[in-house]
Amino acid sequence: MKNKEKHIGFILFVVFAVLPFTLAFGYALLYSFGVIGIVNEGFTLKFWKEVFTSSTLGVSFIYSSVIALIGVILSVSLALWIVLKYRESFGNKYLSFIIYMPLAVPGIVSAFFTYQLFAQSGFFARLSYQLNWIETAQQFPDLVNDNWAIGIIITFISLLTPFFILLYLNIYKDERIEELSQLSRALGANKKQIALKVSLPIMLKKSWVLIVLYFIFLLGAYEVPLILGQESPQMLSVLILRELKQFDLTKISEGYVMAVLYTVVIMSATVFIFSRKKLRNNAY
Amino acid sequence: MRKYSCLLLSLIAIFFSSCESSEELQDWKNASWSEIKEEASSTTVNFMMWQGSPIVNDYINNYVKPTLKKKYNITLNISSGQGPEIVQLMMGEKQAGSEKGQVDMVWINGETFFQLRKIEGLWGPFTEKLPNSQYIDLNNPFIGIDFQQEINGMECPWGINQFAFVYDSSKTPDPPKTLAELETFVKVNPGTFTISNDFSGMTLLKCFMAEMSGSPDGLDGEFDQQKYDTLSAQLWDYINRNSKYFWKEGQTFPKEHSKMDQMFSSGEILLSYGFSEGGIEDKVLQGLFPKSTKGYAWENGTVLNSNYLGITYNATNTAGAMQVINFLISPEAQLKRAEPSGMNANPVLDISKLPAEYKTQFEKITARQYGPSLDELSENAIKEPAPEYMLNIYEDFRTYVLEK
Amino acid sequence: MRISLKPFFLSIMVLLILFPFVYLLWLSLSADWSFPQVMPDYFGLKNWKALLISETGLLRSFFQSVIISVSVGFTATLSGFVISRNIAYHPKKNTLTLLSYFPYIISPVVFGACLSYFFLKLGIFGQMTGVIVAQFMISFPYALIFFNSFWGEKTKNMEDLVSTLGGNRLSSFTKVLLPLAKGMLLVCFFQTFLISWFEYGLTSVIGVGKVQTLTIKVFLFIREANYFYGALSSCLLILPPLVLMYINKKYVFNKLT
Repeated sequence: MKNKEKHIGFILFVVFAVLPFTLAFGYALLYSFGVIGIVNEGFTLKFWKEVFTSSTLGVSFIYSSVIALIGVILSVSLALWIVLKYRESFGNKYLSFIIYMPLAVPGIVSAFFTYQLFAQSGFFARLSYQLNWIETAQQFPDLVNDNWAIGIIITFISLLTPFFILLYLNIYKDERIEELSQLSRALGANKKQIALKVSLPIMLKKSWVLIVLYFIFLLGAYEVPLILGQESPQMLSVLILRELKQFDLTKISEGYVMAVLYTVVIMSATVFIFSRKKLRNNAY
Repeated sequence: MRKYSCLLLSLIAIFFSSCESSEELQDWKNASWSEIKEEASSTTVNFMMWQGSPIVNDYINNYVKPTLKKKYNITLNISSGQGPEIVQLMMGEKQAGSEKGQVDMVWINGETFFQLRKIEGLWGPFTEKLPNSQYIDLNNPFIGIDFQQEINGMECPWGINQFAFVYDSSKTPDPPKTLAELETFVKVNPGTFTISNDFSGMTLLKCFMAEMSGSPDGLDGEFDQQKYDTLSAQLWDYINRNSKYFWKEGQTFPKEHSKMDQMFSSGEILLSYGFSEGGIEDKVLQGLFPKSTKGYAWENGTVLNSNYLGITYNATNTAGAMQVINFLISPEAQLKRAEPSGMNANPVLDISKLPAEYKTQFEKITARQYGPSLDELSENAIKEPAPEYMLNIYEDFRTYVLEK
Repeated sequence: MRISLKPFFLSIMVLLILFPFVYLLWLSLSADWSFPQVMPDYFGLKNWKALLISETGLLRSFFQSVIISVSVGFTATLSGFVISRNIAYHPKKNTLTLLSYFPYIISPVVFGACLSYFFLKLGIFGQMTGVIVAQFMISFPYALIFFNSFWGEKTKNMEDLVSTLGGNRLSSFTKVLLPLAKGMLLVCFFQTFLISWFEYGLTSVIGVGKVQTLTIKVFLFIREANYFYGALSSCLLILPPLVLMYINKKYVFNKLT
C-alpha cells in the first residue's frame, strides 16, 4: 500500500514536472534538424549551420548576459546598501507594509510604467519641457527602446531591488547578524569593518544561489525587453520568439535551433549551481 | 514497478493520441444560403484579427459584435493575431492534425494569403456564395487580385485603401515626393524620418523599390529574383547612405506603426505614412494630429490594395463565418464602417451596384475634412507587387539595415 | 554638527515606491493628454466607466484571470505539497530536485512555444484549460522546490510518531502535516497565484490571443498606443495582489531556498 503511493507520487512528478520539459525539448530538437515541421523536408544540418554562421544569436547572448548582469549587480548592491544602512527604519509600521508594495507590480506593468516616464514624449520629457530644459521632444535623451538598454535595466532594477531588500532583511534577522555585529564591535571592529567583514560576506553567501537564479530569469526575460527593447540586438526570448513567428516559413527551424541552444545553456548553468550548492552543503 | 511504467506509458499514449472526433462534415460549398443561414444562427464565431488600431477595435466591439448578436444571434469572439501569427497557428494545427480549428475566420492581406495558400490553410472558394458579394466588383484589379494573385473566391474583400504619406503643412510646406527629394529632406531636417519595422514600413520600402525600378508598374508580374537583387541592393544602399539623418540617427527603428503616430503627434518626426490614405481623418478629429495635417501620394505612386477575410481550412463554424463575412460586406456594415466619425474606411463595394437607398446614403457621407480621399490619390496608385517582394524585404531589412 | 540624511532618504524611498501606483491611477483617470502638457485635458471617471459598459472585455478578462490564477495556485500548491514529499524522501532526491528546476527556470515563453504542438494535439490550445495547464507546468515545479525544505528530519519523525500511535497515512496528512504546513501552504498559494497572475509570454503563446487575461490586455493596449486603458488594466492587475498583501503581508514573501 505504502509502496504504491510512493510510485504514484513519483509518476505524477514525472508526468507534470519532467515530461513537459522533455517533450518540449525533444520537439524543438527534432524541429531544429528539420525532421518535423510541415514545410521541412527531412533531416538536415543546414539550420544549425545557418545559426552558427550568423552572429545574431551570439550577439543576443552577450547582449542579454550583460543586461542581466548589470541589472542583478545594481539591484543587489542597492538592496545591500539600503539594508545595511537603513534597516532599523523598516521596523516602522507603515514602512514595513510599503516595502512589500512593489511586489504587487508585474513585469509588464513595470515596463509600461518605465515607458510612460522615460519616453521622449513621456512624463519626464514633459517636465523638462515645462522647465525649459528642452525645446523639442527629440532633445530628451533616449531612455527607452535605446541602444544602451537603459529602459530595460531601470525596469529590472525596479523589479528586483524590492525583492532583494526583503530577502536581506530576512537574512539579517535569521542569521543574527545584529548579534554578530555587536560581538565584533565589542572586539574592537569599527562600523565599516563590521559591514565589510561580517555582514556583507554572510548576506552574500546566503543569497548567492538566488542571485544566480535571478540572473538566469533576467536572461530569459520576455515582456520587459519586448516593450522597452530595440529592434537589434534583441534579448534572447524576444529573438527566439521572433524567429519562431517569422514570415519566412522555411526558416522557422532556426528559431528552434536557438531555443535548443538556449535551453542547453540554462540547463548547464542549473547543473553548475547545483553541484556547487552540494559541495557547500557538504562542507558545512 | 513494471506495472507503473506501463501506467506511465499509457499516460503518455493518452497525451499523444489526437482527439479525432469524427464529426460529420457538412458540404458547405454546395449548401444553399438559407441552409447556411439557419446553421449559423445561435452559434459562436472565432475571428482572429489585428487589434492594433483603436478605431477598428471600436468598430468591431461596439458595432459589429452587438449587431451580429441582435440580427443573427451570433456571438463573435475576437482573438488577437496578424499575419505571421495566423500562419503559425495554421501550421501548428496542420502539423498536429487538429480538425477543430481555433479560429474560424481571419483578417489577412496578400502575403498572409500567399503563405496560407502555400500550406493550404484556407477553406473555399466561398466568396461568390455570399449574397452581398454581388455588390463587389471582383473584376477591379485592385480588388480581385491580391498581391498579383487571383483571389479565386478563397478570400473575400473587406476594405480597400491606399498607402499615403502624412505631413504637417504648417511645419513642412513642401514635403518630398521622390527619393531624391527625400534625401534632401532628411539632410535638411535630420531626425524627423524613420521606417517602422512592420507592415507599414515594409510597404513604404516597396513603394521606394517601385520608384527605383523606374516606373509605377515596374514590379508588376511574378516575382523576379534578379530584379529584386538589383533593386534591393540599390534600396539598402540608399537607406544606409541616409540613415544617419533618420530618427535616432538610424541606430534604431520603431517596431510598431502606432508609435510613429505618437511621434508624429509630438512633432518628433515630420514625415509619416500609413494605410487608409494615411489614417489622418480620425487622428485629427481625436486631436492627436494637428488640423494642418495633410496626406499625399508619392510621385511614382503608392500602393493601393485591398484587405480580405478568409475562412480557415479547419473552421468549426464554417457557416457562421460565412454569415459574419456576408454581414461585414453588407451595405449596412460598410456604411457604418465608412462614417467619418468612425473608421472612415472606403467601402469595398461598388456603389453603382447598390440598391438606391444605400446609394444615396453612401453619397451623403461627407467628404473628409483633412485626409485625402481615395479618388484624389488614385492617379498615383500602384498595384501590390508579388508577395515574395514583401517577404524578402522584411528579411533583408533586418539583415542589411537593422543588424548592419 | 552632522546632519542625518536618514529621514530624507526614507522619504525619497517611500515616494519612489508610491509614485508608480499614484501615477498609474492618475493615468487611468486621464484622457487627451498630448505632449508637452504635464496635466491631461480630461480628468475623470470616463475610462473606468467605459470598462463597465463597453465591449472592451476588460471586466471579463479580470474574472477570467482570477479563475485561471486561483485554479493554478490551488492545484500547484496542493499537488506540489503532496508530491514534494515523494521527492524529498526519494533516494535520488538531488537529481529529482534538479529536474524540477529546469521547467521553472527556463523562459516560459520559449517553453510554451516548444510545447504548443502538444497542446494542439490535446485540443486545449487557445482554451482556458490550456492556459491553466500551461501555467501549472511552471508553477508546479516552483511548489515542489518550495516545499522541499518542509520534509526534513523533524517532519519525518513526526510522521513516524503518528504511525507508531496507530494513525494511517490519511490522518497523518490531515491531522498533522497539513496543520504543520499551514503557513507555508498559504505562502506557496500566494506565490503560485502570482506566477500565474503576472504571466504574459506563456499565456500569449498557449492562449493564441483567444484567452485574454489581464496581462494580455495590458499588452494589447500598449500596442495600440491606448495608454489610458493600458493604465486602467494595469490598475486592475495590481489591485488584487495589493489587497491580499494588505490582508497579510507575511504570506507574500518567503525565501526560495
